[in-house]
Amino acid sequence: MIYLSQLANALVIGTLYALMSLGLSLIFGVLKLVNFAHGEFLMVGGYLYFLLCALKLPLWLSLVLSIPLLFLVGFIVERGFLRSPYQKKMARYDEYVILVTFALGIFLQNLALPIFGPYNRQAQPLFQGSVRLGELVIGADRLTGAIIAFFVIGGLLFFLYRTYYGKGLRAVAQSPAAASIVGIKVLRMRAVAFGLGITLAGIAGALLGPVFLVNPEMGTSFAVKAFVIVVLGGMGSIKGSIIGAYILAIVESFGSILLLDPSRALAYKDAYGLLLLVIVLLLRPQGLFGEKERRA
Amino acid sequence: MKRLFAAVLLILALAFPYYFKDYWLYVGIISLYYAMLASSWSMLAGQAGLISFAHVAFAGIGAYTSGFFVIHAQFPLPLAMVFGAIASAIIGFAIGALTLRMRGPYLALTTLAFSEILRIFITAEYQLTQGSIGLQVPLIFGGNKIYSYYTGLFLFILCTAVLKLVLQSRVGLFLIAMREDEDGAATRGVNTVGYRLLAFVVTSAVAGLAGGYYAHVVGLVSPQMIRLGEMGLILAMSVFGGVESLLGAALGAVALQALTEYLRIFAEWRLAIFGALVLFTLKFAPQGILPRLFIDVEIFMKRWLDKPER
Repeated sequence: MIYLSQLANALVIGTLYALMSLGLSLIFGVLKLVNFAHGEFLMVGGYLYFLLCALKLPLWLSLVLSIPLLFLVGFIVERGFLRSPYQKKMARYDEYVILVTFALGIFLQNLALPIFGPYNRQAQPLFQGSVRLGELVIGADRLTGAIIAFFVIGGLLFFLYRTYYGKGLRAVAQSPAAASIVGIKVLRMRAVAFGLGITLAGIAGALLGPVFLVNPEMGTSFAVKAFVIVVLGGMGSIKGSIIGAYILAIVESFGSILLLDPSRALAYKDAYGLLLLVIVLLLRPQGLFGEKERRA
Repeated sequence: MKRLFAAVLLILALAFPYYFKDYWLYVGIISLYYAMLASSWSMLAGQAGLISFAHVAFAGIGAYTSGFFVIHAQFPLPLAMVFGAIASAIIGFAIGALTLRMRGPYLALTTLAFSEILRIFITAEYQLTQGSIGLQVPLIFGGNKIYSYYTGLFLFILCTAVLKLVLQSRVGLFLIAMREDEDGAATRGVNTVGYRLLAFVVTSAVAGLAGGYYAHVVGLVSPQMIRLGEMGLILAMSVFGGVESLLGAALGAVALQALTEYLRIFAEWRLAIFGALVLFTLKFAPQGILPRLFIDVEIFMKRWLDKPER
C-alpha cells in the first residue's frame, strides 16, 4: 500500500517537474544555453500567483493572468542580455551566458528577499481537501496542479509539433543557419523560446506554490531538480525531459523510504538527484534521448 | 603604469592596519579571503575558460581539513593550513580528471552538483562536522587582528605571485590557447589534458589555502561557506573587477566587501544591488570595471600626449 501511494505521489509530482524542465529544455534546444536562473523564474511565478491572489482576483484568473506577465519578463531578459552578444557573435559566448544567467538568478533571489521577506508564503490552491480513490488519498491541491500541468504540457506539445510557429522553433533548434535560409526569423524565435521557457517555469512555480511553500530560496532546489531531469533526458530533448521528470520523481519518493534512518533520509533527499546528475554527465553526457554533441 | 598601480596598492595594503582598527581591520581580513578566492577563480574562469561552481567547495574542503588536523591531530596551524591546501588540490585533481571531456555548461553543472552534494554531506554528517552549527576551530595568533591581517596579506601575495608566474610562463599562453580553441591547441601540440588538470590543481590549492586561513581567523567553519550564494558572491567580485585579470578580480573582492559595509543601511538589498551591478558590468563592460578604466585612461593619456605634436 505504501508503495502504491508513493507511486501515485511520484506521478503527480513528476508531471509538475516535467512542466518546469520542459522550459529549461526548450531554452537549451533553441538558444543553446543552460538557464542557470531557471529556479528563480519558477520562484517569480510562485510569487506572481501569490500576489495576484492577494489582490482578491479569482484564482483561475490569477493563474491565467500570470502567463502573459511571465512571458513578458522572459522576453525582456532575452532582449536585454542575450540578444546582442549572439547577434555580434561575441567571443566566448558560452561562458558569457553562464555568467549572465547565474548573476540573474542571484539578482532575482535577493530581490525577492527584501520585498517578500524570508518567510514561507502559501498561496491558495484552486481546490482544497483531498480526493479518495479506493484506499488511495491524494491532496486535491497537488492533483489539480498536476492535471493543469498535464494540459499545459499537452498544449505545448501541440504547439511545437502541429503549428507553423512551433515547427519554426524546432527548426531553429536543429540548425539556426538552415532555418534562416528558409526564411524563419531566428532572432524572434530565440526570444519566443526564452519567453516560453520562462513561462513554463513560472506556471510550474504557480502550481507548486500552494503545494510546497513559496520562499525566496525555493528556486535553488527546484533548479537543481530541473538540471538533473534535463541532463538525464538529454539536453534539448522534449521527450527526454518528460520521461526524466517521472524518473526523478520516482527515485526521490522511493529513495526516501528505502533509507532506514528517517532524519538522514530527508537530509540526503536532494543528494540522490545530484548524484544521478553527476553519474549521467560522466557516463552518458548526451543523456537518454539527447543527440551527441557535434563538435565543429 | 600597471606596475606603479600595483606598487601603490601594496603600500596602501601594508599601511592599512595603522589607519584602521578593530572592526574595519576585520573587514580587511575577510576581504583578503575573498580576494584570494576571486583572483584564483578568475584564473580558472577567465584565463583557462573553465567555469567551475565548486570554488567555494574547495575553500570549504581546505577549511574543514585544516580544522580537523588542528583539533584531532594537534598539528600547528600553518602546517594544518598547508594540509588543507593539499587536500583541496587532490580533490581538485579528481574533479578535473573526471570532467576532462566536459566544457561550457556541462562543466558548470557538474561542479555545481559536486558543491551542493558536499554541502548536503557536511550538513547531514553531524557527528563528524557539527552540521550546520559549525566546527569550532582555534584562532591563529590567538585572534590578534594585526598579525592575522599580515598573514592574510602574505598568503594573498604569495598566491597571486604563484598564479601570475604560472600565467606569465608558457603555460599561461597554452591556457589561453585552450580557452579559445581546445582542439586547435591540441593539434598544435599543447598537452591539453595536463594543463587543464594543472589549472584545476593550482586554483583549488589556492582556494583551499584561503579556506584554511578563513577558518583560523574566524574560528568557525560551517556549511554556510559552501552555499551557492557564496559562489555567486565570488562570481560577482571577479566579474566586477575583471574576470580576466587576477589583480582586477582581487580588487573587485575588496571593493564589493567594502561596499557591503557601506550598504549596511540597505542590509537586505545589498546582494540584489550586487546582482544588478554584475549584470550591468557584463552588459556594458564585460572585461570588468577596472580593466575598462585602464583602457579608458590609456586612451585619454595617449590623446592628451599626442595633441601638442599635431
